[in-house]
Amino acid sequence: MKKIFLVSLLFPIFLFAQVEGEIKVPYVDFPMKDGKGVYSTRGKCNMCHSFGYVINQGKQSRAFWLEKTVKMIKTFNAPIAEADIEVVVNYLYENYGSNDEHNNSVEVP
Amino acid sequence: MERREFFKKAVVTAGSVALGGSVVEAGETTHPVDDRKITPIAFPEKRPMIMYSDRPPLLESPRNVFTAALTPNDLFFVRWHMPMIPSHINTGSFKVKIDGLVNKELSLSLKDLKTKFKQVEITAVLQCGGNSRSAFHPTASGIQWGAGAMGCARWKGVRLKDLLEYAGVKKGANWLGFNGKDKAVYSETANFIRELELEKVDDTMILAYEMNGEDLPYLNGFPLRLIIPGMYSDSWIKMISNITVTETQNKLFFMEKAYRIPDNECECETPEKLVKKTKPIEKINVNSIIGYPEQGSKVRAEAHVVVRGVAFDAGSGIKKVRVSIDKGKQWHDALLDDGREGNHAFRAFRYTINPKKVGKLTIMCKAISNAGEEQPLAKDIKWNHGGYRYNGIDEVTIEVV
Repeated sequence: MKKIFLVSLLFPIFLFAQVEGEIKVPYVDFPMKDGKGVYSTRGKCNMCHSFGYVINQGKQSRAFWLEKTVKMIKTFNAPIAEADIEVVVNYLYENYGSNDEHNNSVEVP
Repeated sequence: MERREFFKKAVVTAGSVALGGSVVEAGETTHPVDDRKITPIAFPEKRPMIMYSDRPPLLESPRNVFTAALTPNDLFFVRWHMPMIPSHINTGSFKVKIDGLVNKELSLSLKDLKTKFKQVEITAVLQCGGNSRSAFHPTASGIQWGAGAMGCARWKGVRLKDLLEYAGVKKGANWLGFNGKDKAVYSETANFIRELELEKVDDTMILAYEMNGEDLPYLNGFPLRLIIPGMYSDSWIKMISNITVTETQNKLFFMEKAYRIPDNECECETPEKLVKKTKPIEKINVNSIIGYPEQGSKVRAEAHVVVRGVAFDAGSGIKKVRVSIDKGKQWHDALLDDGREGNHAFRAFRYTINPKKVGKLTIMCKAISNAGEEQPLAKDIKWNHGGYRYNGIDEVTIEVV
């Protein structure tokens, strides 16, 4: 009787033995281009997600970066002050803007 | 009229890129980026893949996995919306709850799912609606995926329908809301909740705990995820922990704004004039990709090269895959696998070429579905702001030496 109890107790554990303990998603540092507003932008974006999530949107227009920054505040409630929007948008557009030759390739470390 | 002129221009400029020009003009759809390198950092339960972000994890499968009907778990693409993913699931205490307009609220353990309900298997393609988004110009909104934001696996689990029947859906219920255990950094941020009309639930939709005969990898939604064959993966909720039955649809950002395309005949728009009326992306477009050879591969003249790839659609099944080695003048039927994985799966194809002339050779493939849909040329695909539902005819250029 005791044996049967043990087997049934272990059954689900046996089925899920692929990973024991915690998984660890590696931390990846995405270097940001140096430019005016880099520190402010780094802090604000990286609070919630990696900078890879930003630069892998490709080179984008000023309107795009403004819309996304506003979306982070309005839709996702990111704690970014309205006064700081301009700094972030300027940094993103100046360094990851679509003004120059169109280029989707992004350096991934 | 404005739109017509816009796309007329797109067709004209496409030629210069095909010839190797680097100037890209607005409006033209090309092929997705195909030269991204594998990142030499392996994520949990994965081999090194093409990586776009670590928080949330975004991993793309390399082209060369697309030669077989099933995609290996450790090379299967990953896309999360929220960066806070539980790093440990206690399989003994994990529960999925079914609540809302039901006769009895359920809180089911994994053991309950495996012992109290019929166990079913289905092979189905999981594809991001933005797969190949980097083909759209000007740059569409979202991660600039190449062609590898997809995969196909054999999923095992229980039918959503059976769970709903067990709970007893009340009269007046119309919608299902799905929520997973991933969370945003700030508690004020809304969860990634998706909704589905109750009347769309069919026998193919399952809550899966197994993928290709193994536990789901953590990054693919361990221990349980929703499988909705034929639909893009935006509602295939990972680490699913809650299903709520409601009368009306909630106003949610991820339903109202994300994963939508213009609700007009061409399902297209221009950056200058976005279409206001939109609809969900839903059904997977007919598509195919060459897994071998890869761009720039060198092959010997007179060698028998077996071109391999996969084709799929929303579930009508693949009727034909055709291959061209003369830039689309002549098309030849490829050999298809036996189709044993079913109509929602990748259909592997192969076609042997025997190139005699030294120099560059472009191989193209296109799929035709049982529903009669055929892939368009990339340049004929029209723009939408989210860069969704790309399905241009794939091509690979190799060098015969």
